[in-house]
Amino acid sequence: MASAQSGPSANPVAARLAGKRAIRSYARKLAEPEDIKDLNIVPMMDMMTIILVFLLKSFTASATLVNMDQNLSLPPSQTRLAPKQAVPVTITKRVVLVEGDAVAPITNGRIDPQLKRDGDNGYYITPLVDMLGKVARREKKVAEMSGQKFDGELTIIADRHTPYRLLTEILYSCGQAEYANFRLLVLKSRE
Amino acid sequence: MRRMRDQFEEADEETAEINLVPYMDIVTNIIIFLLASVINQVPLGTVNVSSPTFGGGAGEGTPDKPALNLTVTVGQTGFTLAGSGGVMSPIPKLPAGDYDYPALTAKLTEIKKQFADETKATFNADAAVPYEIVVRTLDAMRTYPDEKDAHERELFPDIVFAAGIL
Repeated sequence: MASAQSGPSANPVAARLAGKRAIRSYARKLAEPEDIKDLNIVPMMDMMTIILVFLLKSFTASATLVNMDQNLSLPPSQTRLAPKQAVPVTITKRVVLVEGDAVAPITNGRIDPQLKRDGDNGYYITPLVDMLGKVARREKKVAEMSGQKFDGELTIIADRHTPYRLLTEILYSCGQAEYANFRLLVLKSRE
Repeated sequence: MRRMRDQFEEADEETAEINLVPYMDIVTNIIIFLLASVINQVPLGTVNVSSPTFGGGAGEGTPDKPALNLTVTVGQTGFTLAGSGGVMSPIPKLPAGDYDYPALTAKLTEIKKQFADETKATFNADAAVPYEIVVRTLDAMRTYPDEKDAHERELFPDIVFAAGIL
């Protein structure tokens, strides 16, 4: 301890030399920075993989995906209920679809009377009832095998200009295929 | 000299890492596409309605109160409300041509105060009424903002669709 304190004062020349050497080596270090051979990208990869997993999860979490175009624009609503998984029935300006398969064409907001059991004034759309009947049988089987109750729920994805008459015709036909509860898919218009 | 170079090469081989750059390229691309598709997603909601069920229901004891049987009809000129007691005075459209949704909610709030337990209502509309107006009317029928605490209270959330006016 004593020698360390007395060292520099004992030999001032050596101390000065040591100081100079230290300064020189520091200056050399500044002049030649260490080469960065390659970046460590492992943390970035960790982060990206986590982002990817979360994005994929949120992507699959949304129960219903709707491709909106000029023939299908949903109406706005102030509802707070979130969509639930159910068989989708889509009503665009041109066609009625069940689970994405075209069932009946629409011209000027009306179904072709030939596709209806009771003609122009009828409500029973034969191809829609047939198709939903098949879907209902499948759903019932699935419900039976998984020990749940068949709830007869449909998601109605309809264009905002669909006339009420067409809507009731479709809902009536859905009712004929044992679907009586409907979830009308809308755009949430508030926060 | 050669031995030294060999030694260096050996050392290099030992510390070599897997080339993660191609993997990162793929992951970055997937993230960009997923982000783009998430941005395009729109907030969706649902409105629950049901179609009338026939049969049953009747003859299950006498109800304490007479049923309300509230029916809201959307016509070309405005809303018409009807119940077991009769038809109420219609709510005409606003001068601008839009339906008067606040007036409908106000009227239904009055009815709700008299029939606090009632949650069912029948919806009916003219054949040509577009779906957009149907959904907005259902919104007006479902809830109302309470004056006391500005919270939303339920009006008639159990809505049954009836056939249109022919």
